[in-house]
Formats: sequence, C-alpha cells, structure tokens
Amino acid sequence: MEALLIAVAKVVVIFAGMVTIAGLMSLAERKVSAWMQYRHGPNRVGPFGILQPLADGLKFIFKEELVPEGANRLMFRLAPALAAMPAMLTMAVIPVGGTVVIAGREIPLSMTDIDIGVLFLLSMSGLSVYGVILGGWASNSKYSLLGGLRASAQMISYELTLILTILAVVLLSGSLDLRAIVAAQQHVGQWNIWYQPLAFVLFTITMFAETNRHPFDFAECEPELVGGFHTEYSSMRFALYFLGEYCAMTVLSCLAATLFLGGPSVPFWPAAPWYVGVLSLLAKAGFFLYLFLWVRWTLPRLRFDQLMRLGWKVFLPLALLNLLATGAVVAFTHGAQ
Amino acid sequence: MAEILFYVLSAVALLGALGVILARSPMGSVLSLLGSFFALAVIYLLAGFQFLAAAQILVYAGAVLVLFLFVIMLLNLGQLGTRFQLSLAPLAGPRARLAVTVAVALGLVGLIVAQGAAFGAPPPVGDAGLDPLPELALGLFGRYSLPFQAISLLLLATMVAVVVLAKRQRKEDGR
Repeated sequence: MEALLIAVAKVVVIFAGMVTIAGLMSLAERKVSAWMQYRHGPNRVGPFGILQPLADGLKFIFKEELVPEGANRLMFRLAPALAAMPAMLTMAVIPVGGTVVIAGREIPLSMTDIDIGVLFLLSMSGLSVYGVILGGWASNSKYSLLGGLRASAQMISYELTLILTILAVVLLSGSLDLRAIVAAQQHVGQWNIWYQPLAFVLFTITMFAETNRHPFDFAECEPELVGGFHTEYSSMRFALYFLGEYCAMTVLSCLAATLFLGGPSVPFWPAAPWYVGVLSLLAKAGFFLYLFLWVRWTLPRLRFDQLMRLGWKVFLPLALLNLLATGAVVAFTHGAQ
Repeated sequence: MAEILFYVLSAVALLGALGVILARSPMGSVLSLLGSFFALAVIYLLAGFQFLAAAQILVYAGAVLVLFLFVIMLLNLGQLGTRFQLSLAPLAGPRARLAVTVAVALGLVGLIVAQGAAFGAPPPVGDAGLDPLPELALGLFGRYSLPFQAISLLLLATMVAVVVLAKRQRKEDGR
C-alpha cells in the first residue's frame, strides 16, 4: 500500500514537472526568439508573461476541433497521443537524484529502477515516430503525408547514430542501468564527456534531429509543407503534438546530462543534499534546453538531401568508429573476462 | 491478477494477428501487427524477461514496422482508401483452397494438442528467476558466436537476393 502511494506520488510529481517544463519552454521559446530579434516577447499575462502558457492552454481547450474530410478518424485522434506518450514514458527511467529519506524510508528519486533502463528508453524513443507518421497519414492531405514521411525517414536515420553513441557510454560504464551510469561519474573528472567527446558532440547534434527541431525540422518546413504532419490539426490535439515535442526535448536534455555530465551529481561537492542534486540535473538539462532555442533562432535550415547525407555518410561512420575504438580500449585495458 | 492479464494479452495478440490478415487496407494490417507485438512484449514482461520485451519493442515495433509503414506510404495505395475495415476476402476463393487452409490450421492445432504441454501448462507469469542479460550476452558472443555470425551472413544474402529479384522484375516490366 505504502509502496503504491510512493509510486503514485512519483508519477504525479514527474508528470506535473514535465508538463510545467513543457509549458515554460513554450514561453521561453517566444521570449528567447524575441530577445534575439530585439523585441520584448509576450509580457502581458502575469509578470514577464509567465502565465502565458496557461492562457495558451485555455485557448487550445476552447478552440473548435476539426477533423478533415476523408481522414481516418480513429488514427487522426490517436496519433497526437502516440506522439506525446513515449516522451513522457521515457522520463520514468531517468534518475533525477540520489535517494531521499522520508519518514524513515529510503526513496530512490526515479520512477522505476530497472536494469535495462537504457534499452527501455531507446525502445520508447523508437516509438515516437508513430505519432508523426500516423498523424501525417491519417490527415489525408499531401502536405501532412510528405511531412510525416520526411520526419520518419529522418528519425529512423538519426536514431542509429543516437543508439551508437549511447552504446559507447554503456560500454564504458558496463551497465544498461542509468543509475549505475550516474554512479560511475560522481566526480567532475569522471564525467563521460571527457572520455567520449566525439560521442557527446554526435549525441547533441542527433538530439536536434530526433526531436525534429531546427535546423533539422523538415517535418514542418513552412515554405514547402505548410505545417508538415500537423497541418490539419487544431485545438488540443495540435497542442498535444507540441507538448510531445517539448517533453521529448526535456527528456533528451536530461538524458544528455545523465550520460555525459554526471546527471544529478554536483561538481566539487560530493556530499551535496538531494535537492541540490535535483537542481544540478535541472541546471544541466536547462543548458541543453537553451541550446535548442539558441540554435533554432541562429542557424538556417538545411536541405533534406544534406540532412540525409550528413546522417548516413558522416555521423553513422563516425559513431561506428567511435564505438569500435571504445570497444577496443575497454577490451584491452579492462581485460577479457 | 497477472493470470487474467496474461489471458487478456493473449487474446489481444491473437486478435491482432487475425487483423493483419483480415484488414482491408495495408495500414490496418500494420497497426494490427503493432498491437499484436505490444501484447507479446507485455507477455514477456509478465514472464520476467525484461530484455526480450525491450528488444521486441525496439526491433519489431520501433524499426521493422516503421519500415513497413514507410514502404506502404511510399507505394501508391491511394485507391484502397483510408478506412479501416475487416474483410473476409483472404478466405474467399475456390472452395478447395479454403478447405486446404482450414485443414492445415486444424492440423497445426492438433499437433500442438498432441504435444500436450501447451494447454495444460500454467500461464508463464511471474519472475522466471533468471538474470538473462549476462547469460544472453555470453551465449550470443561465446558459445553461439559462430551461428550468430552465420545468421547475419544469411540475412545479408537474403537482402542481396531480394534486390536482385526486384531488379529483374523491373526489367521485365520494361521500365
């Protein structure tokens, strides 16, 4: 009973946190773009426009919902949920801190604690493509279909690089458990970024492609495809796609911090209390989240063939070589068992 | 609780498999297959095989089926429409074919019943008491490393064969 209560509490906290971060990200996106373009951005709703996401959410709920003629209704309704769900599920395995002692019980600060956390995460992120491809198909519109196709081709291509870079880290840590990976990098000198710089760079770039963010956002390339796969969506279902995108960004940022920057470990303060650890993870993830915005409002969009060439002819061989080199080093230094 | 879940999931997996054959649009087939795969993955989880479940989702649902979807969307299947409907068309045709199909199906079921274990055994629920991951890795890269490599060669050969066959068909079409 008590265990159930703890589990429910964790789910509520993590879910509310994710949605809050997603909402704040939608505000941050507009604010940062405004600052970069010498504007003010939203500043009417609440101080600094901080309540803008709430206002947007209310507006989304009260908008009329349209289903295009000839669309597959079931899939059209299901697709946005399929887009948002995997990103939220992946958060379950990310350790957001060490353990807390509340009322004499040790509570680990992650929703679940499974041995194959990395595999679970990869399999869930592999599912996120369904929301995009099915949404594009079910809309019965050529822009949506092309957007969905592009997005899925891109996500499949870059997923390989993502998996290979994560595997290099897994090889170093010798575990598929994210908690073990965090435990292996408690000090700044042990952070994987120093041992896997190439994997870190590849992971960071691939993150942008996996979330369909600028400069890889061909799925919603406005000049060519109107809105891409979500052209036909309106109201809350449209918002769900964005919620999914921001959640995916949040999860991947947390994952990057966990894999390469020591997760919730605090630099130069190994005995830090748990809340400092959580803040530390948030700060590290926040850096990556800001990177998403920074790049979006700085770089121009690539061409689709450039994107494919980059993925298959540059990133994939580099990631393979990196994995091979890491494997060789691990085999020769740690010795075969 | 877990047993009820097992039976429900088995039913979902079987219905999904039926849907693959009976769906009128190929998209419906793919989605039925997806449902079936998911039910199987959860059955693996119930049996305590975490790795197998994750691999099932990662490989089949995350990669293979997405490629299926991709091919179906690229091929021009517009005239089939976007509605999901079940049709018994795969079962139609000459009576003889239907009879042979039913006979084969009954024969397979009979074979399973004759083996005895399948229906009498309790559902595989609960921890199987294994630590499968290191065991699996040792088996795959130690004892069975040669067959493992042979399978990858076989798959490569299959891929080349498919490409060759597809090319020949094109030439005959005069394109």
